[in-house]
Amino acid sequence: MKNQNNGFKIGSIVVFLGLTLWYLFPTIQWSLEQRHMESLTETELVRYQSDNNEKLQSLRERSLKLGLDLQGGMYVTLQIGEPQLILELAGDNADDELEQIINVAEEQAVQNNTDFVDEFVSEFEARNPDGLLSRYYRSDAENITRRSTNEEIATYLRTQRDSAVTRAMEIIRSRVDRFGVSEPSIVQQGTNRIIVELPGVDDEERVRDLLRGTARLEFRMAAEPDEINASKQQISTYFQENREELEEQGMQNLLDIFSFQGVSQYSFGYAAETDTAAVNRLLSMEEVQRLIPRNTVLMWGARPFAFDSGTGLVELIAVRSQIELTGDVITEARVAFEPTTNAAEVSMTMNSEGARRWSRITGANIGRPVAIVLDGYVESYPTVQNQINNGRSSITGIGGVQEAEDLVNILLSGALPAPLDIVEERTVGASLGEASIQAGLYSVIFGLSVVAIFMIVYYRVGGAIADLALILNIIFILGILAGFQATLTLPGIAGIVLTIGMAVDANVLIFDRIREEMRGGKTLRAAIDNGYSNAMSAIIDANVTTFFVAIILYSFGVGPIKGFAITLMAGIVASLFSAIVITRVVVDYLTREKTADVSFG
Amino acid sequence: MRWFETPSFDFIKYHNIAYFISGALVIGSIVAILTMGLNYGIDFRGGKEFVFQFESPVSVTDIRNELTEPLGSTPEIKLFGSESEILIRTDAEGDITEVSDIIMSTVTAMYPDNPVSIQKTDLVGPRFADDLRRGAINSIFFALAVVFIYIFIRFKGWYFSAGAIAALAHDVLIVLGIFTVMGEIAPFNVSIDQAIIAAFLTIVGYSLNDTVVVFDRIRENSIVYKTMEFKEMINKSLNDTLSRTVITSVTTLFVVLVLFIFGGEVLKGFAFALVLGIILGTYSSLFVASSLVVELQKRAMNKAKS
Repeated sequence: MKNQNNGFKIGSIVVFLGLTLWYLFPTIQWSLEQRHMESLTETELVRYQSDNNEKLQSLRERSLKLGLDLQGGMYVTLQIGEPQLILELAGDNADDELEQIINVAEEQAVQNNTDFVDEFVSEFEARNPDGLLSRYYRSDAENITRRSTNEEIATYLRTQRDSAVTRAMEIIRSRVDRFGVSEPSIVQQGTNRIIVELPGVDDEERVRDLLRGTARLEFRMAAEPDEINASKQQISTYFQENREELEEQGMQNLLDIFSFQGVSQYSFGYAAETDTAAVNRLLSMEEVQRLIPRNTVLMWGARPFAFDSGTGLVELIAVRSQIELTGDVITEARVAFEPTTNAAEVSMTMNSEGARRWSRITGANIGRPVAIVLDGYVESYPTVQNQINNGRSSITGIGGVQEAEDLVNILLSGALPAPLDIVEERTVGASLGEASIQAGLYSVIFGLSVVAIFMIVYYRVGGAIADLALILNIIFILGILAGFQATLTLPGIAGIVLTIGMAVDANVLIFDRIREEMRGGKTLRAAIDNGYSNAMSAIIDANVTTFFVAIILYSFGVGPIKGFAITLMAGIVASLFSAIVITRVVVDYLTREKTADVSFG
Repeated sequence: MRWFETPSFDFIKYHNIAYFISGALVIGSIVAILTMGLNYGIDFRGGKEFVFQFESPVSVTDIRNELTEPLGSTPEIKLFGSESEILIRTDAEGDITEVSDIIMSTVTAMYPDNPVSIQKTDLVGPRFADDLRRGAINSIFFALAVVFIYIFIRFKGWYFSAGAIAALAHDVLIVLGIFTVMGEIAPFNVSIDQAIIAAFLTIVGYSLNDTVVVFDRIRENSIVYKTMEFKEMINKSLNDTLSRTVITSVTTLFVVLVLFIFGGEVLKGFAFALVLGIILGTYSSLFVASSLVVELQKRAMNKAKS
């Protein structure tokens, strides 16, 4: 009976160890490959990588992943702009009341931590007890009609939101792929958030633009210079006359941070890049808005046109509110170079419908500038020289080739269905990651060694057996992590260190119990049997409770905490196995003779 | 080698002293938390955090003073690991690029001959911070609830659950209190962020580990020594498991101390919480949880009699 039982235990050890090595093997191979590739020269490397592309890729995918905190890189959480999406879905039916409802719903959703759509519907119903949301949302394609119930509309809105998130993820994936990051990770979190992990990336600003750009391209005509001048005059007078009053209210004066001087006759003026938010605030004042012509909107230039003591100066451009053409007619975009200056630009081709309208627009506006607006910023406003019939247009004035490439990439990936806000962003420099991994690793090795020595000194042979279990324990943890495709993070390393401390616990419980039983006069064999069985309930209870805590950590935590929780769970499973099964097999083997003399200290 | 071979400490006898120490620490912690406020990191408060690395040492105070005006508010600045690395935390408005540019240009102007690079930037939006905070609070309460239920089922006595939960709350509150008080003076980052919550839950797990082992022995002894007085039996159980408690605590504490000292700056606060947690967890299992079980059991019995 005993032998059979041990046979089963040995079998499970072999299986467990085999699985672990199977899952860890790619990691070992991958690190050997990496070492090999580091020794190659640039040309050899390119060659080697293209020759072994498939093999390398599969190794990388199957090897143990390091968290961004260990290898450096960027972690971004994006949240889809549900309010904007829901407003936009209403299209022309939107009115002031809808906007108010959306604003209130947004606040409510934040305050109560509830679903935005729920808040939206309940706010609407509170204002219109018998009203139907179908007043705003009627689309024949989505099975909703004028008579649809509010519940049906809510379902429709949720579906739209979910599909917007899915589409946004696809678009981001395509943008990131073009950006050329190895092993990016893009996952959805909850209903409205997307987590993007970009290992090794440190060009934060470029990534931010890439992720957030909605790629909403519009063509608008520039406003009339006469109207602009009149409006400038009035606004400047307003701020001059009300200077004192505004100052009393603690407000900045527009005249201090904004210059009404035009870079061209279509520009409203300019300000330092860092002041644009403040200028926007001042210009959005009701008294000021009245002084701006009805059919005119002011938009900032996408890039600084000049630098003044280190800060960029950006232009505020007056354009028509009417959108002549949107980016969905663009079928192709590529980087081109202006022949005379050799400056990078983005050249775009339109579909036939777009080309026809573009031809009409350019034909009617020769000699006047047309603004190319991307995500609410004016990319450029070239003057129409002659009617354009072939559906071509280009964005000029771009900073460099890289920026032109990013722009092409954003345009080609398509427009995001709704704006995305960055709600969380973490960047770890590669060198900090390396320092962390080293510090963590050394701590593990040092802590492990001292505990191992202590165990041998304190428990003699028993201690040595426990140490063996401890080493296998660590290998198991890594194997489990690799097998579950989990990511090793810094808190994860801390989790391993902690498990090392706690893994000893099971053995301490058992060995102390064995000593106790021997003190009670039992033979070695009997003491071992009793020791193991009597210690078991304490070991199980203690580990099960800790495992529960780990599960809770896993389900509530995000990012690095999840990594810690996984390591903790893996650690508990591994340490239970190694402390109960492995040490038992070894102890049984050593005490198989009746006269065996194994010391537990 | 053998420690505490057959100890016979009267733990319960010291429970008044233990209650006094624990009570003072808990009340002190609550007062500190209420008056000073929890020292939230950007995870739970929202804001922006940067780590700048200089080539040679810089003055934290000078940088703080110089940055106050361009950022529009006084930033929190601390050394991060060495004298030439600093952590800047600010809730200045604006894009993270704008803010890092402002800091960068200010410090380069201050130290033109001291090259600086950005090691780490973190941004957490206020809404997101709210969500994270709610998640953290939920997870702590949920953990305590699950623990209560599990112990209740396994040990069939609400006083075991209550004793264990009281001991856990005791440990977590005191660590929180120490983190609050140390907020200003610690030479490393002790603000409460997600990693610290992970540490708290680990403390919960560890302290529980200890408590459960003792409870387990109490359960066993209560079957073997049916006639023994409850108080006596608890004392015996504590003594029976004392060797194991000490060995495990010492080894674990040692490993976590190594992590605290050598584990690098990023893990300092986390490891510190664990060090405190292990010391407190061991103490509370020995002196608080069991004493409470005795007390609660006594009351339950008296009630049942009357």
